[in-house]
Amino acid sequence: MTEAQFVALSPLILVGLAALVVMLAASFKRSNGLALGLTLAGFAASLVSLAWAAKVAPVQVTPLILIDRLALFYLGLVFLTGAAVALLGHGYFEKRAGYRDEFYMLLLMATLGAGVLVATTHFAALFIGLELLTISLYALVGYTRTEPRSLEAGLKYLVLATVSTSFLLFGVALLYAELGTMEFGKMVDLIRQGGHRETLVNGAIALVGIGIGFKLALVPLHMWTPDVYEGAPAPVTAFVATVSKGAMTAVLLRLYLLVGGAIPDSVMTLLSVIAILSMFVGNLLALLQDNVKRILAYSSIAHLGYLLVAFIAGGNFAPEAVTYYLIAYMATSLGTFGMVSVISGREREAEELRDYAGLFWRRPFEAGVFAAMLMSLAGIPLTAGFIGKFYLLAAGVDMGAWVLLGSVVINSALGLFYYLRIVASMYAAETSAKPGAAAREVALLGSATLAALALCLIWLGVFPAGLITLIRSAVLGV
Amino acid sequence: MTSVPMDHGLLLAGLLFAVGLAGVLVRRNILYVLMSLEIMMNSAALAFVVAGARWSQPDGQIVFIFIVTVAAAEVAVGLALVYQMFKRMKTLDADAASLMRG
Repeated sequence: MTEAQFVALSPLILVGLAALVVMLAASFKRSNGLALGLTLAGFAASLVSLAWAAKVAPVQVTPLILIDRLALFYLGLVFLTGAAVALLGHGYFEKRAGYRDEFYMLLLMATLGAGVLVATTHFAALFIGLELLTISLYALVGYTRTEPRSLEAGLKYLVLATVSTSFLLFGVALLYAELGTMEFGKMVDLIRQGGHRETLVNGAIALVGIGIGFKLALVPLHMWTPDVYEGAPAPVTAFVATVSKGAMTAVLLRLYLLVGGAIPDSVMTLLSVIAILSMFVGNLLALLQDNVKRILAYSSIAHLGYLLVAFIAGGNFAPEAVTYYLIAYMATSLGTFGMVSVISGREREAEELRDYAGLFWRRPFEAGVFAAMLMSLAGIPLTAGFIGKFYLLAAGVDMGAWVLLGSVVINSALGLFYYLRIVASMYAAETSAKPGAAAREVALLGSATLAALALCLIWLGVFPAGLITLIRSAVLGV
Repeated sequence: MTSVPMDHGLLLAGLLFAVGLAGVLVRRNILYVLMSLEIMMNSAALAFVVAGARWSQPDGQIVFIFIVTVAAAEVAVGLALVYQMFKRMKTLDADAASLMRG
């Protein structure tokens, strides 16, 4: 390995190293604070090394990994989100019995897997990154093992995710059998040249699509989402909703850029149907829920539908629109699930809608931040969510994709209804909420993280230009 | 020595895949579900070996080793979760694990 390759890989190496250090430290001294400190130090070191790696980028490290500006940008996003989840997890697990150090170790491992995913250009590395992420997530989802729902969610996720990975693997095996390579670039070129069995290749691509669609929880592969989101500990839910989907979106974006927009119309129609179904199913089922985590789970299905619209209707704008929308989505999801974990009490999580009744009168600061996050999810002006949706609509109008745009508009209205339902219950007079539902003590680190996120969202909603310039240089530089 | 045609190998892998998928869908005992998952993963692994043989590249076998390793890690976590579930619910029936609805 040359020096440049080593420098380019250093962000991933440092995160992997941090996982080992946390694990070793836990065998000497078990401490929630120490583990958090080491984890944050690891993330900070990786983030600093991104600047170091940016000087040598783009570097192809073996055929497996390409560190270019797109990868660096998404690595930064993934590491920042991972660090925020660690901060939220600290307060959440502090309140609960049981070991805490492993949470950070698994979190670092899962983030490393997501990091490999965003930088990969080869299906073998994609598989390793995906499994590193997913296997860590099985353990994280079932982390509170005294809670039967957490175990159930872990098992369900394990079974369904393994099935979807098997589909992906089988698809890749068929593609490899037909094309003789597993590198993204070469595969796209070979498929373009033709001269192979069309049905086999198309079937194989569909199998790979099932694997990717499952991770993104697009309809009809969304069934796992509400159960896993409800059962998993709230900080882990935040991680599943953000990092795992964000990393997969990066893979999709890389493939999209390689294909260069030359996607057949039939595929586009299929994707449009999936996007429209995801939006409607997500939003309509969210209306029926009384559990806040389930509401947010269905809303995340709808949001991935919007994201897919950005891919389909984006045209030349697509990479920018997708990335901006994803950042807005990740920040708000982190914020909303983070809020659930911050205000959860010792005995159980604050997940029922009635746990939020009168929250504004008890904890005005948290309620205000939560309301701002929900407004951003709904896409109200002055928030990042609005700019994301605006980007989407502008790109769609450019392409004249009216059916998709109509669905986005109808669904935004549907979404507003259930987001406002949560907000309204926060401002309602306090009913006799079950004791222990909401914490009395304040998790300082978690609340500070959420305040920073809320400021970020509003900052991005009012002054989006800085981030847009950054995104442009990242996605158009490849 | 005549070698096995590639399509026969892929067909076998496809059949194994279908057997595994059917097992996951039909079986109620969670241990059998885990075994069926193994069959699915390994059928894909077999397909990789067959594909690698067609191109006389080592890549197929490398991915095979990746898959076997990952499947082992997956089962380790899976069995730990099953053990915890058995301790609390005293059953291995997958239908018993359905506290969440909607």
